[in-house]
Amino acid sequence: VVNRNRRTAIATASFAIIVIAVLVAGGLYVRSLIDQSFTLSSRLSTARALAYTVLRDQLDEETGLRGFAATHQTVFLQPYLRAQPVIGPVIRQLNAALVGLGIPEAQPYAADLAVINDRYRIEIAGRLSNSHLSPQDMFSTEYLGKQRVDRFRTDIRTINKYIEERLEIVDAEVRAAVDRIGILIGGAVVLVLLVSFLYSTQQTALAARVERERERSAEERREADILRSAYLTEKRIADTLQEAFVQRPLPTHPTFRFSATYVPASEEAKVGGDWYDALELPGNRVLFAIGDVTGHGIDAAVTMNRVRQTLISSALLDPMPAALLERVARELYADKAPLVTAVAGFADSNTYEFVYATAGHPPPLLIEPGRAPRMLECGSLPLGAMPENEYRTFRIQSVPGAMLVLYTDGAIEHSRDVIAGEEILLAAAAEAAKQSTTDTATFIHNTVFNGRAIGDDVAILTIGFAADPAVGVRISADRAGESSFAGRLGVAPGEVRAASGERRNAWRMRQFGKKVA
Amino acid sequence: MRGECGNLGRRLPEVNKSIAVIRLTGELEIGRKDEISSALTISGSESGILLDFSDVSYADSTSLAELLRFRDDAARQNIPVAIVIGSRQFARLIQYAGLGHAFRIFDNRAAALSDLSLAAGG
Repeated sequence: VVNRNRRTAIATASFAIIVIAVLVAGGLYVRSLIDQSFTLSSRLSTARALAYTVLRDQLDEETGLRGFAATHQTVFLQPYLRAQPVIGPVIRQLNAALVGLGIPEAQPYAADLAVINDRYRIEIAGRLSNSHLSPQDMFSTEYLGKQRVDRFRTDIRTINKYIEERLEIVDAEVRAAVDRIGILIGGAVVLVLLVSFLYSTQQTALAARVERERERSAEERREADILRSAYLTEKRIADTLQEAFVQRPLPTHPTFRFSATYVPASEEAKVGGDWYDALELPGNRVLFAIGDVTGHGIDAAVTMNRVRQTLISSALLDPMPAALLERVARELYADKAPLVTAVAGFADSNTYEFVYATAGHPPPLLIEPGRAPRMLECGSLPLGAMPENEYRTFRIQSVPGAMLVLYTDGAIEHSRDVIAGEEILLAAAAEAAKQSTTDTATFIHNTVFNGRAIGDDVAILTIGFAADPAVGVRISADRAGESSFAGRLGVAPGEVRAASGERRNAWRMRQFGKKVA
Repeated sequence: MRGECGNLGRRLPEVNKSIAVIRLTGELEIGRKDEISSALTISGSESGILLDFSDVSYADSTSLAELLRFRDDAARQNIPVAIVIGSRQFARLIQYAGLGHAFRIFDNRAAALSDLSLAAGG
């Protein structure tokens, strides 16, 4: 609106300047026309006055001569004597004026005046001034003089006629110039009125638009308030869910070393998104899982919780990672739930194996004593992408002191270059391997994000085998069958033992046998 | 810098007329979901579809989900789909998602078109 007002003001000022400039230019032009017309008119009047002066002088000459001829008194010659020396110059002035005024058609008559005057002086004046002239000769001479004067008068009338015609033209030009002034002023007035009308219409439309925008803005504020209220409500629910879905405490088992960290990208991202789990299984094994639900909020949190519960409950039936993921994938697809990427599997401290499967998730990272950290194999569709998908179980035979690092994509996609992200994570893992810290996950996180902005949630879970195998064997023997996992599931340890006791005992015996041997 | 959807129109004149080409560039992320979703559509008359992602450097999980949806749609209509991938980073993301087996993947457009032509002819 401000820009529009500024543009309107500029346009209005420009228009006013243009109108004033046109009026001033038009006025100056018309004024110059009038000035020229008045000058011309004045010169024409002067020419006409000269013509009358010439006629008067000629008549004075005639009057003086005829008075002298009738009385022979020299006093009557005075008019003649006055006019005789000046009439020639005045005729020349008249002729020059006619030339200057551009009336060529009148010039022959002006020339004729001089001829008539000369002849009159020679033929008439000479004879009439003779006092011995017979009455008959006097009469014929006066008659001839009258004819000359009549012709003189006719020439004057003709010259005056041309001058009058020219004056009429000049008058017409003046009137036309005045008319132009009127048209110019009238046009300007009409233009100003038209522009004023348009401007007024535009201002009215602008005011209406401003009012509409104000109303829309108010409506948007109301909607924003409603959305904010809805957001706060969802956040309260989400916070409640967050409390309910809080990350489970990591197991404490003598043959394993765990660490984990979860750093949300923002307050809004606290619920949903990334999660991790580590649960003790019978027989010196732990179930582990890490994952990322597409999106955030209540839907993501509910899906996350569902995936976690399905993974745990499925692990009772078949702990093989591929089977776990396939079951979760079927359920999510059937319910059109958000896509989930995950790694799930178990670690066995009897055999030092990591067994896992991935679903659209970045690969696990393995740290082994004396070796550089490395990325393991990965690659399968995210959970919920297909109704049926075969996931592959990867089995890694490792060594005491080895550690599996699981993480979510935020740990490697901080620069959108996942290959560079993997290299940074591997370097952080290598650094962690040199440290004596027990909170490896936090150490890796801090090393990776040292000075880097966190653009996405980051979860890191590490599962390591105790470096001293003897400790593991000794303590696991004491704890056999008394799994805290059984307690968390709400079943008696004996029942769990009955379900899987034979195989677990076989693992334990095999491990024990190794150590004894 | 985020790229823009390239030529969303299909059936480019210089290409085999029955093979549709969909070109996307830049980083495919949730902010471009509508743009990506509208680009990844199938008319049903294609004998093959070439996804030219040679200038795509990143794709988030939402975009990969759109790719999966597109793959399902194409599979239901028996339309072969080939992807041209130009960046190692994007190739790695495709590997995470297990999409390496879901699409015919190539590193140049000519090879992808040739493969699609053969698939369409077969």
